Amino acid sequence: MVEELADKRLVVVTGKGGVGKSTLAAALAMQSAREGLRTLVCEVNAKERISQLLGRPEVGPEVTALDENLWAVNVRPQEAMREYALMMLKFESIYSAVFENRVVRYFLRFIPSLQELVLLGKILFHLREKRPDGRWRFDRIIIDAPATGHAITFFSVPQVIVDTVPPGAMSTDATWMRDLLVDPKTTGVVLVSLPEELPVNETLELHAALASRVKMQSALVVLNGFIAPRFTPADVPETLPEGLKQTARHHMARSDLSAACLERLQTLGLKVVTVPRMFTPEFGRQAVEQVAARLGAAK
Amino acid sequence: MKNPIRAALESCDVLITVGSGGVGKTTVAAALALRAAMEGQGSLVCTIDPARRLANALGLQALGNAETQISTGTFAQAGLAPRAPMYAMMLDMKRTWDELIERRAPPDKREKILNNRFYQSLSSALAGSQEYVAMEKLWELRTQRDYPLIVLDTPPTAHALDFLDAPNRILDFLDNDASKWLLTPAMAAGKFGLKLFNLGGSYVAKTIARFTGTETLQQLADFMLNISGMNEGFRERAHQTRALLEAETTGFVLVTGPMPERLDEAIYFHTLLQQNKMKVAAIVVNRVHGPVPDALWGEVARLPPSTQAKFDQTLKENDHLARQDARGVAKLREACGTTPLVLVPRFDLDVHDLNGLYETSRWLWGDRQLELAAQGH
Repeated sequence: MVEELADKRLVVVTGKGGVGKSTLAAALAMQSAREGLRTLVCEVNAKERISQLLGRPEVGPEVTALDENLWAVNVRPQEAMREYALMMLKFESIYSAVFENRVVRYFLRFIPSLQELVLLGKILFHLREKRPDGRWRFDRIIIDAPATGHAITFFSVPQVIVDTVPPGAMSTDATWMRDLLVDPKTTGVVLVSLPEELPVNETLELHAALASRVKMQSALVVLNGFIAPRFTPADVPETLPEGLKQTARHHMARSDLSAACLERLQTLGLKVVTVPRMFTPEFGRQAVEQVAARLGAAK
Repeated sequence: MKNPIRAALESCDVLITVGSGGVGKTTVAAALALRAAMEGQGSLVCTIDPARRLANALGLQALGNAETQISTGTFAQAGLAPRAPMYAMMLDMKRTWDELIERRAPPDKREKILNNRFYQSLSSALAGSQEYVAMEKLWELRTQRDYPLIVLDTPPTAHALDFLDAPNRILDFLDNDASKWLLTPAMAAGKFGLKLFNLGGSYVAKTIARFTGTETLQQLADFMLNISGMNEGFRERAHQTRALLEAETTGFVLVTGPMPERLDEAIYFHTLLQQNKMKVAAIVVNRVHGPVPDALWGEVARLPPSTQAKFDQTLKENDHLARQDARGVAKLREACGTTPLVLVPRFDLDVHDLNGLYETSRWLWGDRQLELAAQGH
C-alpha cells in the first residue's frame, strides 16, 4: 500500500465524475487484500462498477466475498435504512409497524440528510464490527465515494446533524461518525484527478472544501491518464510531412497539459502519484492490475 | 437529412443540455447559444458552474444571478460579429431559492422560513433541489423575459432521475396525502404540533423521535406550517414547469463522451427522457477521436529509425482511441433508435474562449462533419 495510506483503516476515494475513481478504489482494494488485510470496498448508491472491474458478478447490497481477503458491497438507501432502523429497534415487527407506515415514510424522506446518514452509518458500522476472536471483521474499508459536489454533502452530513439535530440517537451516531471521518489516524482521503483544466480545478476546490467544511484531510492525490513527454522539437524538423508534424504537436500539447496539471496539483503539498494514460481494450481487471502496479511502484 | 441542431434551433425556444458531469455540457450549451446569436437568433445561456476561463471568456466574473450581455468588443476581439445579442448568466442556487421564498412567502413568514434549519438543508442538500431551482429559474426566464432562445445548462447529476424528478419531488413534498392529513386540521385549528404528536396514538411519533429527537419533529412541523401558505403557488409552478419541459418548443440536447463508462449512462438517460415524453433533439457525442489518416502510416515507415518508434507508437495509440470511440458511437446509435447523433471531435486543448466555442458550434451545426474510424481491432 502507498505509504500515505498504510496506516489508514478508512480510505475515501473521491474526485470529479469520470476521472477513474472506481478503477482506483478497486486497485487500492486489491492491493490491500494482497497484503493480507481483510478489505471491504464500498460503492455508495451507484451503478455498480467495482465487481465488474474485477471480473465478478454484481454484489448488490449484501457484503460479498470477491477474492481472498476482499469483500465488496453496494450500499443502497432502502436496505441501509432498514438495517439502521433494525439495529435501533431490535425487532422486525416493530420495524414493519412503524417504518412501513405511510405517514412515517413520508416524514423520513424529508428528515434532512437521514438517507446520507444511514448510508454512511452502514459503512462506518462495518469498521467497528469484530469477529468472535475479537479481531476486526474488516481491517480496512475503502469507499468509492460520490463525485465532488455530492461527496462534500455526503461527508458533511454527520457534522450538519451534530449542528442541527437536537440530542437523540441520530445525533449520537452522527457525532461518532464525524469523529471517525475527521481523525487523520483513521481516515485518509484520496483525491483523483485527470490532466485537464476542469478536473484539476475541482480537485483543488475539493481539497479546500474537505479541509474547511468537513475537516477531512487529504492524504494522497492520484493523477490518472497522465501523458508523459515523448517528442522534442528536434523530432519535428521542417522537412517532416505536415500530418506527422500535427501528430507530434498534438502529443506535445497533451503532454504539456499533463505537466502543467501535475504542477498545479503539487501546490497542494501532497504526494501526487501519476498513472499513465492506458490504451487497453477494456477497462477491466487488466486496467486495475496496471493501476495497482503503478501504486506499488510509487511507494 | 437536415442537421438536427439547426432543426432544433428553428423549432425550439428552450434547449436544455443534460448529461453526466465532465462531458462538456457547459461548452455545448454555450456553443449553441453563440451559434444562435451568430445566425440572428438572440440567446441567453444559463450555466451552473462554468470553468473559470470559459466564464471569463463570456464576461461572467462573479455576476451571480444577473443576466449579462456579451459585449460587441468581446466578440470583436475574437473576430466574431453576431447578428443578434447573446446573454449569459451563472445560476446561483442558494440565491435563487432565497429569491423564490422572498417572492412567494407571506411577509410575516419570510424570516421564519429563511432561518429554519429545514429550509437551509432543503435549499442546499435535498437531492433534486438544485435541479428544481434550475427549472424554476428557467420558468421565470421563459415567462418574464423575451429571449428568442434560452439554453439551460443543468447541474451535473449523480442520478439522471434527480433531474427529471425534481418538479415531481417538490409536488410530492407538498401534495402528499400524509402532509395534507397532517396540515389541514392543524391549519384550521391554528395549531400544528398537537396533531403531529397525536398521530398513531403517539406511538409512531415516539418511535420516530427515538431517531431524530423530539425537537427535530417539532421544527419540521414548524417548517411545514410556515411554507404551507406557499403550497398552492409551488404546486401550480411545478405543474407549469413540467408542462414547459414537455412542450413542443422545448428540446433536450443529451451530451455524452464516447467512452464505454459514459455511454451506459447516456443510454439510460435517453430512455428516461423518452419515457417522460421529453423531446430529445440530438445526442451530442463530445471529444470523439477521429481516425488516423491512412497516409500517415506510410510516412512513418519512411522516417529515420531514431524517431520512427515514437511516431509509430503515437499513431497506434491514436488509432486505438479512434476505433474505441467508433465502437462507442455505434453502440449509442443502436441503442437510441431514431434520435440523431452529432459528433464533436476531441480538440488539443479544452475549449475556453469564444473562438473555441465557435469552432465547437461548427461541428454542432454541421459545417464540419467527423468521420469515424473503422471499428475492428
